[in-house]
Amino acid sequence: MPDVFWLWAGLPTTLQDALLALALLAPGLVAGIVVLRGLSPWPLVRAMLGRFSAANVVFVALIAISVGIGVGLTAQERGLRQGSALAAEKFDLVVAAPGSEITLMLAAVYLQPSDVPLVSGAQYAEIAATERVSLAAPIAFGDSHDGAPVVGTTADFVAHLSGGLAEGRLFETAEEAVAGAYAPVALGEALTPEHGHGPTAEDESHADFAYTVTGRMAPTGSPWDRAILVPVEGVWAVHGLADGHAPENAGRIGPPFDPDYFPGTPAVLVRSDELWAHYGLKSRFTRPDLMAFFPGTVLAQLHVIMGDVRAAMSLLAVVTQVLVTVAVLAGLMILTRIFARGLALLRALGAPLRYVFAVVWGYSAALILVGALAGLVVGLAAASVLSRMVTARTDVLVSATLGWPELHLIAGFVSLTLLLALLPAWSAVRRPIVPDLRA
Amino acid sequence: MPATAASECPGLALSVTDLRVAAPGGRLLLSLPGLDLPAGRSLAVRGPSGAGKSTLLHALAGLLTDVEGAVRWGETDLLSLTDPARAAFRRARVGLVFQDFLLFEELGAEANAALAAGFAPASQRAAIRQRARSALDRLGLGGTSGRLAASFSDGERQRIAIARALAHDPAVILADEPTASLDRAAADRLIDDLVALSREDGRTLVVVSHDPALTERLDQSVEIVDGHLREGHHA
Repeated sequence: MPDVFWLWAGLPTTLQDALLALALLAPGLVAGIVVLRGLSPWPLVRAMLGRFSAANVVFVALIAISVGIGVGLTAQERGLRQGSALAAEKFDLVVAAPGSEITLMLAAVYLQPSDVPLVSGAQYAEIAATERVSLAAPIAFGDSHDGAPVVGTTADFVAHLSGGLAEGRLFETAEEAVAGAYAPVALGEALTPEHGHGPTAEDESHADFAYTVTGRMAPTGSPWDRAILVPVEGVWAVHGLADGHAPENAGRIGPPFDPDYFPGTPAVLVRSDELWAHYGLKSRFTRPDLMAFFPGTVLAQLHVIMGDVRAAMSLLAVVTQVLVTVAVLAGLMILTRIFARGLALLRALGAPLRYVFAVVWGYSAALILVGALAGLVVGLAAASVLSRMVTARTDVLVSATLGWPELHLIAGFVSLTLLLALLPAWSAVRRPIVPDLRA
Repeated sequence: MPATAASECPGLALSVTDLRVAAPGGRLLLSLPGLDLPAGRSLAVRGPSGAGKSTLLHALAGLLTDVEGAVRWGETDLLSLTDPARAAFRRARVGLVFQDFLLFEELGAEANAALAAGFAPASQRAAIRQRARSALDRLGLGGTSGRLAASFSDGERQRIAIARALAHDPAVILADEPTASLDRAAADRLIDDLVALSREDGRTLVVVSHDPALTERLDQSVEIVDGHLREGHHA
């Protein structure tokens, strides 16, 4: 037994998934081979499908919706997890004042506005000066323009986040800005930031200040694609604060910052060129006056918490499929009774019970297979629409694609229903011939 | 096609002895002390509605289960066979025609006529289809094989049903009120076809009918009233 386990564990994941799908499908396939072997029931199956086409379409639609819900939910949930993880990928380590890691992650990574305590100039200077820190970027949020968040940071962080601009150049003065890939501003456009976000944003509070857009980032698949990135000095200046530099360095942007003129920042993105060094940095900045966290880890914890919801959603999908399966089974029983006269005719003509059984099972199998395939299309279409809606609302690039979990779900459903379809077929061949002929 | 000589007749002789059929509640539906029909001959079964004519036909086809007595087709005692063996007997030796045709309306004429090909051994399927096409030709329906059954007139549909009864080359044809759903002209044509095809090929034919135009054309006739044999005559 352990040998089998190790053999299985040694197989490529794709092969494991393919074998699992085959194993799930196998009972239904075996039933089909046993029922249909040597027989040709398809002309009569086509006749049955054509006889009550409206009822058949309803059955196919029921199956398709049931399968579609399952496929859509699993594909969407996976897409959401992958999209949110991708959005956090560039945020190696976030250092902030003590508070909620989840709140900070939502604010710094996903740009969800939130009031958080600030990291001081001395703390920032310590972080930036720490050995193996190659990037320590302040992230200052709170303003917006035309619904897009205006975020103060450094040019190095913009370069790190975007991996290169799609057009234009990085900002070089406190009055310049780089637009996210889908931010609602054009290159060369001058924009005035609003204080706050959404309907409560104050239009006129920063009316005497304007940024000029000098560049646009390539898409990142994160909420930063709709953001407008400006020098952190600009954000401080617009709020009437010191700009992070001593008067003799007036007009300078980017690090080093002077702790005495550093007004504070909600979060600092920290990066080291050595991956392993991030663990040491996290440990170093986890202390009473600071907290440090990996957004990916917090996100994973969030997914674990959300796992219960995921399980509930999966359970709902399964319950829906079971209910629809029962409904389809009951419907097939009724349809089989409607076809009873034709089936009695076959038996009167001498058709073997196996043939009549194969006709009824083949008819059920055709409805199930067409419904399952339609469900696959419906599910992926629904997931695609949902993905676009989620992406539009959160700017997290959610992409729902067909994966093995969906194929396993469909394989299991098809196999189970093909087995259950043996019941109406069995019921059909047990009916008396003469009363059905006279019906 | 020339008539088959009696010695070469492919039909089966019928011999019914002490046949008793009862309803599930015990009510007697049919009691027939004896009935004989030589191979290749035809028999009309007359009688009022509910007299037991169709019950007799069903018993002769081996479709009833709670039956006493004996129904012999040639050397085969049909009632002593198991259900699968009776089905095999019908599949090989019996052609059935019903009052209301019982066609699959969504299938074409040929597909209906060759229905038996679907459950015959693979080696016999082509021959069944060929005979179905040939029967449709003989019945004046050549060239219509792809048309859906639903698009034919009642007379044509009954001829398709006859082609279906002939497609597997049976020794016996059992027809239950085959002209009852047809107008006079269609019924007359069908009677000609049914009688001619049976006689030409030497098949044994048993027809339940109210139609004197049909029963007078057959070799023998019996009347059933209240489940009992009333009289008989030879044409």
